Amino acid sequence: MITLDPKIPPGPLETKWERRRFTEKLVSPGNKRRIKIIVVGTGLAGASAASTLGQLGYQVECFCFQDSPRRAHSIAAQGGINAAKNYQDDGDSVARLFYDTIKGGDFRSREANVYRLAQVSTQIIDQCVALGVPFAREYGGQLANRSFGGVQVARTFYCRGQTGQQLLLGAYSALCWQVERGQVTMRPRTEMLDLVVIDGHARGIVVRDLVTGRITAHMAHAVVLATGGYGNVYYRSTNASSCNVTATYRAWKQGAAFANPCFTQIHPTAIPPAETHQAKLTLMSESLRNDGRLWVPSAPADRRLPEEIPLSERDYFLERRYPRFGNLVPRDVASRAVKAMCDEGRGVGPGGHGVYLDFADVIERHGVDVVRERYGNLFEMYQRITGEDAYRVPMRIYPAPHYTMGGLWVDYNLMSTIPGLFVIGEANFADHGANRLGASSLMQGLADGYFILPYTIGHYLASAKATLVGEEHRASRAAVERVTGLVATLLRANGRRTAASFHREVGKILWDHCGMARSKAGLTGALKAIPALREEFWRDVAVPGSGETFNQELEYAGRVADFLEFAELLCHDALHREESCGAHFREEYQTADGEPQRDDERFAHVAAWEYRQDDSPLLHKEPLAFEFVQPTTRSYQ
Amino acid sequence: MRRSNQFQTSLSSKVAVALSGLGLAGFVSFHMLGNLQVFEGPAALNGYAAFLREMPIVLWSARLGLLTVAVAHIALGIRLALQNRRARPVAYAVREYRVASMASRTMALTGSLLLLFIVFHILHLTVGLGDPSVHDQLDERGHRDVYGKVIQAFHNPFYVALYCAGQLVLGMHLSHAVSGSLQTLGVEHAALIRLFRAAGPAVALFVVMGNLAIIFAVFLGLVRP
Amino acid sequence: MKLTLKIWRQQGPHDNGRLVSYETDEVSPDMSFLEMLDGVNQRLILKGEEPVAFEHDCREGICGSCSLVINGVPHGPERGMAACQLYMRRFSAGDVITIEPWRARAFPIIKDLVVDRSALDRLMQAGGYISINTGGAVDGNVLLIGKEQAETAMDAASCIGCGACVAACKNASATLFVAAKVSHLGTLPQGKPERARRVAAMMEAMDREGFGACGNQYECEAVCPKRISTRFIAMLNREYLRAGFVASGSPAEPDSSQAGPD
Repeated sequence: MITLDPKIPPGPLETKWERRRFTEKLVSPGNKRRIKIIVVGTGLAGASAASTLGQLGYQVECFCFQDSPRRAHSIAAQGGINAAKNYQDDGDSVARLFYDTIKGGDFRSREANVYRLAQVSTQIIDQCVALGVPFAREYGGQLANRSFGGVQVARTFYCRGQTGQQLLLGAYSALCWQVERGQVTMRPRTEMLDLVVIDGHARGIVVRDLVTGRITAHMAHAVVLATGGYGNVYYRSTNASSCNVTATYRAWKQGAAFANPCFTQIHPTAIPPAETHQAKLTLMSESLRNDGRLWVPSAPADRRLPEEIPLSERDYFLERRYPRFGNLVPRDVASRAVKAMCDEGRGVGPGGHGVYLDFADVIERHGVDVVRERYGNLFEMYQRITGEDAYRVPMRIYPAPHYTMGGLWVDYNLMSTIPGLFVIGEANFADHGANRLGASSLMQGLADGYFILPYTIGHYLASAKATLVGEEHRASRAAVERVTGLVATLLRANGRRTAASFHREVGKILWDHCGMARSKAGLTGALKAIPALREEFWRDVAVPGSGETFNQELEYAGRVADFLEFAELLCHDALHREESCGAHFREEYQTADGEPQRDDERFAHVAAWEYRQDDSPLLHKEPLAFEFVQPTTRSYQ
Repeated sequence: MRRSNQFQTSLSSKVAVALSGLGLAGFVSFHMLGNLQVFEGPAALNGYAAFLREMPIVLWSARLGLLTVAVAHIALGIRLALQNRRARPVAYAVREYRVASMASRTMALTGSLLLLFIVFHILHLTVGLGDPSVHDQLDERGHRDVYGKVIQAFHNPFYVALYCAGQLVLGMHLSHAVSGSLQTLGVEHAALIRLFRAAGPAVALFVVMGNLAIIFAVFLGLVRP
Repeated sequence: MKLTLKIWRQQGPHDNGRLVSYETDEVSPDMSFLEMLDGVNQRLILKGEEPVAFEHDCREGICGSCSLVINGVPHGPERGMAACQLYMRRFSAGDVITIEPWRARAFPIIKDLVVDRSALDRLMQAGGYISINTGGAVDGNVLLIGKEQAETAMDAASCIGCGACVAACKNASATLFVAAKVSHLGTLPQGKPERARRVAAMMEAMDREGFGACGNQYECEAVCPKRISTRFIAMLNREYLRAGFVASGSPAEPDSSQAGPD
């Protein structure tokens, strides 16, 4: 039975973190040498945590399934990283970053966590500069900032459109240093497939060596999961093709609570899929909405070319529905509006999956050169992918799953409901509530990895006083057997359908019923369809090759198997949350003009789900108290 | 970070090859300029040759120095070429180059051919193995008749063809070598990059044109005995 | 669109590989090159054959996973982009496309088109970092870094570590990769204290890993998905020559080059 104790320090918001750091127990340097910590994942959170823990003197064993730690999907983040530096002297402060983030999350996150995030944000920038991250600079040599995601201050630091890459390479280089020093043992091409829990504490993981196929247990005093988000459960997303839920999901099955899985962010401006088998959707920067106008034909199933449709027969739907913000409404609002248009049969392009993003007006107003200067690289990318010239015909865009706010439940110390299991970065649920603001995922990943986890894990290690268990322990042998059995079952099925076809199908179920808009009827239907699909999967999946070699299809099938179970959890969570908040929109809970209705009385809580074998997951609630800010309604009309 | 002050890397070898190569390129340039005196008639060329021989210590020191530089250049070059060859044990089935010139891809080959040519050239015109009777002739001032030797050699179509082939190989080697050496020594500049990259072909053209001028002037009878 | 693919198939590192021909006719011009391969693989799986192993992840040209030599050119016919950003409209019906893995002694083949690029990680571990502890960093604006300097560092730092430079180089040299990192860190004031040791250590590691030496042919730049300039190689060479003098130590402290944390 799980108990949710967030362990938030008492007292004023501003000093909670400082007090926690003072009251925490420490591990002496001599003891650190004898303590082993496993870090799974090498994105911003994992790489920064592993390198910092190594530098502190712990023995770290770090795992990633990619061929190099530098390939983790943090690398693809474009926009930037927020920090309350107030270098622009435009009124920014820790308090303001805190408020923006908690409001952006539609008041579904913990005040204490978010405040701490805002506090350490400034240290992150300093640390990254020291590591050699080439942030954009002004001519005078100071750090440059831009504004992002509709906030009123310029607090975003950036490295061209490759901020995630540069921050990750910074953390990766720190990791390289610790590998060279012998503090971190790096194990690439190794996938975590189970968690070893002994006497209620996380004591190790089971991994498969993706080259040799060998399945082994690795033991430690504590385990840190930094395994990212599960956006790929939708099949089509902006995530990298190997992003998956396996590590966190299997930890869930070992007793870690999963919080708010239904909070999934759908980004409005991705390039629509060109054909049915395409999984990867490419994101186009949100900045395009500054100058582009979204429209669809007024009549459904209008197959005319865009230039043949006269102005009177076009519907500039965002401007019509949200006259105050027009094309600049937040991500969730824009995505829902686009979906509504497509549902009405007014979508454009192949399969009606798309709306126009038209630059004709701005080109007429300022000329092609100005537009080229602002968005040239994006137009180039668009042309490369679609073969169309957006200077002459309108772009087509369509929303795409992008980021998952939900994740394993963690307390203020980033520890899950399994003692000794810590979860950081996108893999935990902590800081973004029901919706994440732009440029804050990088901030959270690095805050967790560089500055929070290295402190809080010490307290656990100092108080738990655990001894290192050998790989031959009963529990780890059992875990190895579980994994070996699962791999064998996948290879035995020898069916007639590929894992991808199941992935596509479960993705479509989720997209239709648990995507941008959800309803009780849809979710109930999905909860019936998913188990049936899962059964078919185990009966009819085809996985060629053997388990003893490099076998990408086997890796993939294992991840799809977990998606097929996890999808159900997502729907359970969406069904329980009878309100609309942030990225979660329940059709039953909207105002007369289609705006989301939040229900703070019944749902101001974190929904943390407990795994039960042969039964539906059990809901636990962590109430969210707002002592320092007052929840307000977001309105963009 | 590993402690390191050994500097025994392939890049050190490359620097040595570049420096020695630039030295050798300088030599072939001056060699060509000296030989151009063939156009001023026998007195000038034979006098020039005699002038060099009048200072045996300088001449032999220079020859020894040149030999050392050449040996270093060749030995390190071979070592690098072997390392480079080992770095790709299995070749591509299909290979397409975008910018790498033919010359740059055949440096080891042109280098080897050039070595053979130089050995032949020394034996032929310096030692005079081809025709010892010609080699020992003296001109009217009592100098060795280098001029006569050159005239005689380049009236022979066989030698003309051989020396032209040698020039082709030399030109190819130089055209990549000089620019490449500048890059290896880190001589690079945003505005002057084209100049540096053109330096190799320019030097190659200069040397080869000068040498070919001598060969063809003799062969076509523009320079007479 | 109908195509003939000749794909390198190799069971494991020690097996002999060969080119195998596949006919495919379900190719639309809007597909990406990797989606085309996905399609081939889906059909192979349904036939009970093992799919072609190839590496891919972000599919937007930044993670550096893709490693395909397409018709003799790493990352294929387009310039300045990775293979995942290549679309089938670049090809015409009836084309024969040869797909091979990166070929280098330092990149042993794992299976089919997948190679082991951990040698690049080891180059980074040899010195591709700034030895700075977490915490205690000074304010980011204390170090003033001119815009142009920052831009140059960013140009070099944009390397995605795919290894196309090695694949394209006649000598399978990783010089451009090392040059990018040495130039990135050497351009910034934060990287200056360790610049001499960094360049020496990384160049030694490059030899140790079995890469060849730079042939100054600039084929690497021509295939680099981030168009990293070979001018950074000249910068690397300068750094190396400079280090050769600096590393001899200052007269007062003969061992100064070896002081400091390792």
